Amino acid sequence: MNTTVNLGGIMMKNPVTTASGTFGFGFEYQPYVDLQRLGAITVKGTTPAPRAGNSTPRIAETPAGMLNAIGLQNPGVDRVALEIMPKLAELGVPVIINIAGDTVDDYALVARKLDGVTGVAGLEINISCPNVKKGGIQFGSEPRSAAEVTRAVKAATGLPVIVKLSPNVTDIAAMAEAVAEAGADALSMINTLVGMVIDIDRKKPLLANITGGLSGPAIRPVAVRSVWQVYRAVKLPILGMGGIMNARDALEFILAGATAVAVGTANFVNPRATIEVIEGIEDYMRQNGFDNIDQLVGLAHK
Amino acid sequence: MSQLIQVEIAGNSSPAPNIYVLELFAPTLAANAKPGQFLHIRCAEGTDPLLRRPVSIHAVNRGTGSVRIMFQVVGQGTEMLARRQDGLLDVIGPLGRGFTWGQGHPSHTNTGSAAVDGSTTNPGGIIVVGGGIGAAPLFFLLQELAVTSAAPRVKVLLGARSADQLLTVELAATLGFKVQIATDDGSAGFHGLVTDLLAEELRQKTAHVYACGPAPMLKAVCTLLGQAKVPGEVSLEERMACGVGACLSCVCRVREPGGEENYQRACVDGPVFSAAEVVW
Repeated sequence: MNTTVNLGGIMMKNPVTTASGTFGFGFEYQPYVDLQRLGAITVKGTTPAPRAGNSTPRIAETPAGMLNAIGLQNPGVDRVALEIMPKLAELGVPVIINIAGDTVDDYALVARKLDGVTGVAGLEINISCPNVKKGGIQFGSEPRSAAEVTRAVKAATGLPVIVKLSPNVTDIAAMAEAVAEAGADALSMINTLVGMVIDIDRKKPLLANITGGLSGPAIRPVAVRSVWQVYRAVKLPILGMGGIMNARDALEFILAGATAVAVGTANFVNPRATIEVIEGIEDYMRQNGFDNIDQLVGLAHK
Repeated sequence: MSQLIQVEIAGNSSPAPNIYVLELFAPTLAANAKPGQFLHIRCAEGTDPLLRRPVSIHAVNRGTGSVRIMFQVVGQGTEMLARRQDGLLDVIGPLGRGFTWGQGHPSHTNTGSAAVDGSTTNPGGIIVVGGGIGAAPLFFLLQELAVTSAAPRVKVLLGARSADQLLTVELAATLGFKVQIATDDGSAGFHGLVTDLLAEELRQKTAHVYACGPAPMLKAVCTLLGQAKVPGEVSLEERMACGVGACLSCVCRVREPGGEENYQRACVDGPVFSAAEVVW
């Protein structure tokens, strides 16, 4: 059985990675997960300088989901490149680094610093974080600025570049077309949906950031629809995510057109979710007579 | 090392209104757990509520392999947990850095071990202060302190809103500790706050203070310790998702030895922090 996929130049032995921000730098899950079984590890959003992140409360639980407003807390690109990557590279698993910044130059700077760092297999441009005042979603809600960031990052690195799209737009296919034209090697979708919870006892927004990003199974149908639409609009490989809890969920994304999938919020609930998704996809292929994962990608369109 | 395991529920009791104690048969947890650590528990089979609930370890019996957790019902997750009588419970644990009992935290003040081993002359008292459900993890600490040479120096102060909400008072007494109590409404013990009792106790030579309870109480404890120049540790709480240090949800503001402030994760850097480093 062949489960190998090529995500825009990132070769993965199976189609399963982790969603940025839900898996730390991987080591946090080492007691529960054989990290070497993962197709890739996608790590926390990384910015030029260290960031403290938002005030607390940073999360709120919602029906079949959660809101988060972490605010890109991270140790900065230099520590990621010099201290974290050498250890992570020893695993021999492709590492995808999510990159973010306040300005186009910030994105390019982070991309340049990660170019050639051992173990880094690709970059995921975060133009869809809803929880920071500058950067993030401001680039991801308008096709022209999304294309500009993509071009700048492509010019700064030889690594494969994935652009992570926001669902908080009128036309996600138009965004996909714009970044595809700007040179993106792959697309990932979806980032979280902007949401909010009011604490009726305090009579105030529950999150310190007021709004947060909704993730978890509650958003899965929106994510599957986004993958379906973008698969029809552009030729690029898609990394699908949004509420994947198990292999059945992952298969929905693959059949809708995702070449690979990312497990996010499910890691918090079941630390072994990634491994169960990998095994469940293999079982499905065996039971349904598929010997190559490629046969499943976008099959629901045919 | 922490594990993701299914453990058997051996019993469920309710020592006070809205408070439950689940007894778990979990020999590996019992063998590895340290006071102040917690279990991250999946309360629902499905996706609502979605997240696990962190619950502190209340008591351990290494001989029988029993671990008890004590919690207050505050929402959907804990309500589901309170209904469990038997079967298997999906837990991750033991998690977090507990009280510095027997060995110091690498980055925390190391006075805990000095306080407990009793190696100095007139080392001073060890005060354990709990408020409300905060008493839950302190009982496990008392179980461990009871078998050290420091046991005669331990004083226990427990507070609650009213007499019926006082927790672990008899349990602490069965370990041989002298327990002072305070209630907000005066229905038992001292009429006032447990931190008033602490202020009085701190007039005597004190080596170390351990505290767990609601945030306003812990803030007052930190202030009192700062004034008295007594080292201590407080167990903090913050909304948590992963429990293993990945998601950065449960952060607490902490002052580094150099004076710089940053966020540390309650789940792996805590939940127990040195009283001097917490920024309120």
